[in-house]
Amino acid sequence: MKLTRWSLLPLVLLSCSARAEDLNKLSQDPAQWVMPARDYSSTRFSPLDQINAGNVAGLQMAWTFSLGETRGQEAAPLVIGDTMYIVSSWPNKVFALDPVTGELKWTYIPHTDRAAQGVACCDVVTRGLAYDDGKIFQVTLDNHVIALDAATGKELWATKTGDINLGETTTAAPLAVKGKVFVGISGGEMGVRGRITALDENTGKIAYVAYGAGPDQDVLIGSDFKPPYDWMKGKDLGVNSWPQGAWKIGGATMWGWFSYDPDLNTLYYGTGNPGPWNAEQRPGDNLWSSTLFARNPENGQAKWAYQFNPHDVWDHDEIQRNVLVDLQIGGANRKVLLHPGRNGYMYVIDRETGKVLSADTYDTVNAYKGVNLETGRIEPNMDLNPSLNRTVQDVCPAPPGAKDWQPTAWSPRTKLLYVPHQHLCMNFKASEASYIAGTPYVGATVDMFAGPGGYRGEFMAWDPVQRKKVWEIHENFPVWSGALVTGGDVAVYATMDRWMKAVDAKSGKVLWSFHLGSGSIGQPVTYRGSDGRQYIAIATGVGGWPGVVANAAVDPRVRNGALGFTGAMQDLPTYTQGGGELVVFALPKSSSAQAAPTQPQPEKR
Amino acid sequence: MKRGLLLLLVLLGAGGALAQQARRNAAENALTPTRAGAYPILSVPVSHLRPGQPPPPPQVTNPAGDDPQAAQRGMRYFISFNCVGCHAPNGGGGMGPSLSDVKSIYGAEPANLFLSIYQGRPNGMPAWGGSLPESVIWDLVAYVRSIGQKPDGNFGQTISRTPASPQKQQTPAEFVQTANPWAFTEPFGNGKKPDAK
Repeated sequence: MKLTRWSLLPLVLLSCSARAEDLNKLSQDPAQWVMPARDYSSTRFSPLDQINAGNVAGLQMAWTFSLGETRGQEAAPLVIGDTMYIVSSWPNKVFALDPVTGELKWTYIPHTDRAAQGVACCDVVTRGLAYDDGKIFQVTLDNHVIALDAATGKELWATKTGDINLGETTTAAPLAVKGKVFVGISGGEMGVRGRITALDENTGKIAYVAYGAGPDQDVLIGSDFKPPYDWMKGKDLGVNSWPQGAWKIGGATMWGWFSYDPDLNTLYYGTGNPGPWNAEQRPGDNLWSSTLFARNPENGQAKWAYQFNPHDVWDHDEIQRNVLVDLQIGGANRKVLLHPGRNGYMYVIDRETGKVLSADTYDTVNAYKGVNLETGRIEPNMDLNPSLNRTVQDVCPAPPGAKDWQPTAWSPRTKLLYVPHQHLCMNFKASEASYIAGTPYVGATVDMFAGPGGYRGEFMAWDPVQRKKVWEIHENFPVWSGALVTGGDVAVYATMDRWMKAVDAKSGKVLWSFHLGSGSIGQPVTYRGSDGRQYIAIATGVGGWPGVVANAAVDPRVRNGALGFTGAMQDLPTYTQGGGELVVFALPKSSSAQAAPTQPQPEKR
Repeated sequence: MKRGLLLLLVLLGAGGALAQQARRNAAENALTPTRAGAYPILSVPVSHLRPGQPPPPPQVTNPAGDDPQAAQRGMRYFISFNCVGCHAPNGGGGMGPSLSDVKSIYGAEPANLFLSIYQGRPNGMPAWGGSLPESVIWDLVAYVRSIGQKPDGNFGQTISRTPASPQKQQTPAEFVQTANPWAFTEPFGNGKKPDAK
């Protein structure tokens, strides 16, 4: 037994009564990483500082593990007690490993429907696992939610929460809060009816469903609901802001991230785009698509909501990570939520009321003209408004927005938000979409390309109080990985062209880089092993919406492929192929080896 | 699916009833047995492995193949039935595999394509046989055949930045919509904006 170093470990392993409150405590243990964003506030910050800006240049590979699949790997490894857990892309195999040696403890192989791959819009990814009370929770692409015994991998229950014949898949990572497992649904390009589902952790029984559109009773809007702006007040706006019946096939899915504030007992998440992309088929604000929800996790009732993009015309979902932090703004301590919008605006929102405190562009934006802080409404640029069968050119940002699913990281030391994102513009032509259940419901021909300056991605640090970018690193391709920041003031990300990078969190200087086997769209995590060493782990395996041109049967010569992302990514296959490998790094055991960098420097661009 | 079929009826109505009937008579026999009770289309192999060196399989041609409008109609169906959503404009691929480069796992002969659409395929291709008449499927086959072009004439394909390979891309579909997209090409764009039209 090598357990003595963890004061919290007896609580983890010996107590069967651990609840979500304990999970919150558990998430504070620097040795572990118990949920995809490490904590309920979604900071992706670890206080560990053994690896720091002064010695990260000596980082070396410690061990690797093949996930056995070669499509996009987006899941964050979790580290609970003396076990690491990770899930692969379809068919969503779960592996339990020794975090120090990489030894395989158990494997769980779900019988995920092969046909589900045909209704997954943007690669067959999954974004991770959840943990609570001795159980690992996973979702499968074919919409099963499964609980596993964390110690043995034994299946405890499995509940189906969606139907692939309606175009529904599940890719969002679940989150455990107060005895419930929360899961989303994907399929905003398939005419699904978006929702979140809460299941009982112990039985898998569905506690409630909260829809993204429809009557108030389906959206769980009741007497507790206090929206921040008048235009979101009224009965059944989730019906009345759509043409008749269109809300039933209008998307407003949830394929991104949940955050949770235990003090306010509020669950936060954003909804996806309205469907179809051809907006002429759905006049109205299309509530509650592209909307931030604040809910009571116990009964699902909405406390408030804020729609980022009324009547979205550009596929600007707003499912991004919402980072919950307390900031000094205007001399007062404010409980805020940071949301780097897909629309290109960095939002600072009062997380008690939903009011927008500031919204500033962090990438090239001409699709909108600004966010009115009085009304909370974004102003679309009507000169670029896509009308049927007209090609509009040079619209920025493109459908994946200035940032897509990529998890950000927040350092309480630097007070900066670390944002992996893309820098893309597009040509866009709307067309009539016909609804056939279980098939795409899009109605747009899209062609994306590099934004001004010719680069396609960026890793940057943002100061939400000063409302400005502090530093930026331009990357050739969209930075589709997540970010990590540590107490050692090291920020970590990875690129689609196979570089893993550690940078100085204060200056953005690249301190270490490593050429991976495949491009990475994974989420880096860090933990302390039972040997006392700090490790950094990430999944590699290029993919996701931008990566299918390198990992699947997509023709780089046809720009409109992959819902238009091929145009921007057509040279990716000259840098990488698909892969699927968990890679773990540490400093050498001998401290003398920590001095000099031995890895090659990144190529100049 | 009902809305899809309704749409189909509207589309067919626009085509001229008599010509449509003639096409249908010619096309809707793929799954009809011959007088001897054979189904020629089922004899077309999907695999190149045929143990025991049997006699060559029958040639099954597209009954709509002589009609120059078949690919054009197929393009309209490709969009109306949302094939375009998965396989992308001009068959570039995305949710579903590319059709533009003739790398079909289940065969690229007309009979292979017909059966792939009719039966569906296990990795996510829906089975359309219950929803679409055979004549529509044969028009889709004609369109898929017209948009495919192998990346180059060699056994394999080289991918590199220097020298640039591939060297060309299609003129994107936001500028040109045609059943013969390989007739319109421009230099490979490497992720930069395509030539403005």
